[in-house]
Amino acid sequence: MAAAKESTDLNANIPDYEYADVNTKAFHIGSFRNEWLKRLKPSSYSYEREDEDTFDANFAKDMGISAETMADLKSVCSVDSLRCHPEDQTPDPDVVPEDPTLKTLIQRKKKQDHKASLKLTKNRHSLYADELERLTFGREPDAVTDIIPEGEVILTINVYYPAIIDKFSYIRPHMTLLMTGSHSLAELRDAICCVSDLQVCGEFSSTPDMAPDFISKDHFKSAFFFFEGVFYNDMRFPECQDISMTTIEWAKARNFPPYSQSKMEDTRFADLTVKVGFPYLYCHQGDCEHLVIITDVRLAHKNDCLDKKLYPLLTHKHRVITKKCTVCHVFIGRWLTTNDPFAPSDPCLFCDKCFRMLHYDAEGIKLGDFLAYPYVDPGAFN
Amino acid sequence: MDESRKRVKSDCEELLSRFQTTDSVRFEVFSKIWREMKFSEIFYGTEGREKRTFSQLILDTASRFLLPPFSFQIRVGGLYLLYSLYKCQIASPPEQIRLALKDWEDIKKFEKDAVDAQHLDAVYILRQLMLQKAFHFTAMPTMLAFRKKRKMEKSPLCEEFLERASRPQELINIELLDELSNIHDLYDKLKTSVTSKSEQSSSVNLIRKDLVPQLRSSVVDFYKWQQKKCSKRADRLASIKSKAYGQAAEVCVSRVNTEILFYFHFNK
Ligand SMILES: [Zn+2]
Ligand SMILES: [Zn+2]
Repeated sequence: MAAAKESTDLNANIPDYEYADVNTKAFHIGSFRNEWLKRLKPSSYSYEREDEDTFDANFAKDMGISAETMADLKSVCSVDSLRCHPEDQTPDPDVVPEDPTLKTLIQRKKKQDHKASLKLTKNRHSLYADELERLTFGREPDAVTDIIPEGEVILTINVYYPAIIDKFSYIRPHMTLLMTGSHSLAELRDAICCVSDLQVCGEFSSTPDMAPDFISKDHFKSAFFFFEGVFYNDMRFPECQDISMTTIEWAKARNFPPYSQSKMEDTRFADLTVKVGFPYLYCHQGDCEHLVIITDVRLAHKNDCLDKKLYPLLTHKHRVITKKCTVCHVFIGRWLTTNDPFAPSDPCLFCDKCFRMLHYDAEGIKLGDFLAYPYVDPGAFN
Repeated sequence: MDESRKRVKSDCEELLSRFQTTDSVRFEVFSKIWREMKFSEIFYGTEGREKRTFSQLILDTASRFLLPPFSFQIRVGGLYLLYSLYKCQIASPPEQIRLALKDWEDIKKFEKDAVDAQHLDAVYILRQLMLQKAFHFTAMPTMLAFRKKRKMEKSPLCEEFLERASRPQELINIELLDELSNIHDLYDKLKTSVTSKSEQSSSVNLIRKDLVPQLRSSVVDFYKWQQKKCSKRADRLASIKSKAYGQAAEVCVSRVNTEILFYFHFNK
């Protein structure tokens, strides 16, 4: 009986679909990792590559074949046998070949020809994505102690912002982060950038120098993640409140399934039991809610960024168009004014320089009766 | 994206169905078709980030052919396809092939079948991919971002590529029928011993006298029907699994052979 129970428990750590192609059933990340390590030879997930001659010798021995057969086999299976052009030619892989027969290429050719006719330049978005990638591939740390251990898990996490409904499209902007199994949820929290963490409240027209610069996360330190019935609260600072308590009490009073709570800073990803592909919740600043989806969990690979210090690693970030100053159209807006006789509109956005030049005299005395609020541009993180 | 996925799948299926008509599992035969179709060019003309997303898309698509329910020959073709795509992609460093934990046993079983049948090229290529760290050992076959499909349109599996069912034959084997027949007799005797001759009829007759022969004939019927349904060519295809590399077939107990043994056993 004990053996039977164990085997069902084991299966629970082999992820499978709850809804096909959408999300998995819940499984324990650390145990999932162990299941892989149990099955693989260490050389399979090592960052080192076994040497080719050793491989050949082992293969020949294993299959009981002669050196001659081995040599034949290698030549039959060589990459040269896949070359689709004469040896003395080097085709340009950036160009779709003429008269393609593969459906994929026929369509790509159409698209490329159409694009050429429009003379479109590459958009900022994809340029930026390329940039992020180039920075991270195969990065190795300076110190050996900073290397991600072989057999560690890497999670891909999407954090979504409230949806933007554009004229024609519905975009759900998000950032994508890579984290390891040994990271805590608090480290994920610190890596999430959201403008509402920077919002400064108050009117500062009389004392513009008192308006704080971007102050981060200082106002409301409380925040939580909600995964599989558990609230993970940030309790690192004395002023943090367990803001999940209200919800837990509320649910208890109404006979909902019981929720529990835990500390963000004490929970590593390897400790979590979660569904991959399933939308969870991150809540901060009292009411700023984000969907969080773990889109992938896998073992670390030699081509990953192996420098622990560079994690949580940002691999995608939605670029928001920044709003420029109404006067100079050069700098990003920092002040929003209302009831402002100098402004062409109400409210109106100014950069710091133009704002001060227009609204104060040489001694810094306020001119007129306007109101001024510090403004944080959503694109300030770009 | 959905449309480009369909086109990629259809290109892969075209290559594999040409491979299927050759009745072969040799890489030499596969690479000839690859060259004829100029399949390396499928990566040409992708730009920037698309290089990477396209690699991922086509590797995800191709890796499905490496797994059941596809026939052994298609799975070998799927392996060769993955290897060739992995080596010919223009993203640098290359995108990895995703391998989900739940599919690992299937891959090990597949490797064992290929080793047993001495399909040297298939085994070599699978182990080369391992050596070259071509795999990501993942939770699931694809990344999952909770994208709800607009149409619940399930892309159909190519019928021609599927492995024929042999579960009935496997489940209802000779040993099981023997055992069943024994139990049946015992049960029958027990019932008879506890009831008097007069009242026997109704209660004892609740069990079917001819259970074992009926079960046997159903399975044999199924097998005959399956044989009729599949062409002669399909039979040859199935036997490929036991054909050795480059030379005459070595004796190997494949599923196909067990099926045939089973059939003869019941018809003698
Ligand atoms: Zn927020
Ligand atoms: Zn300005």
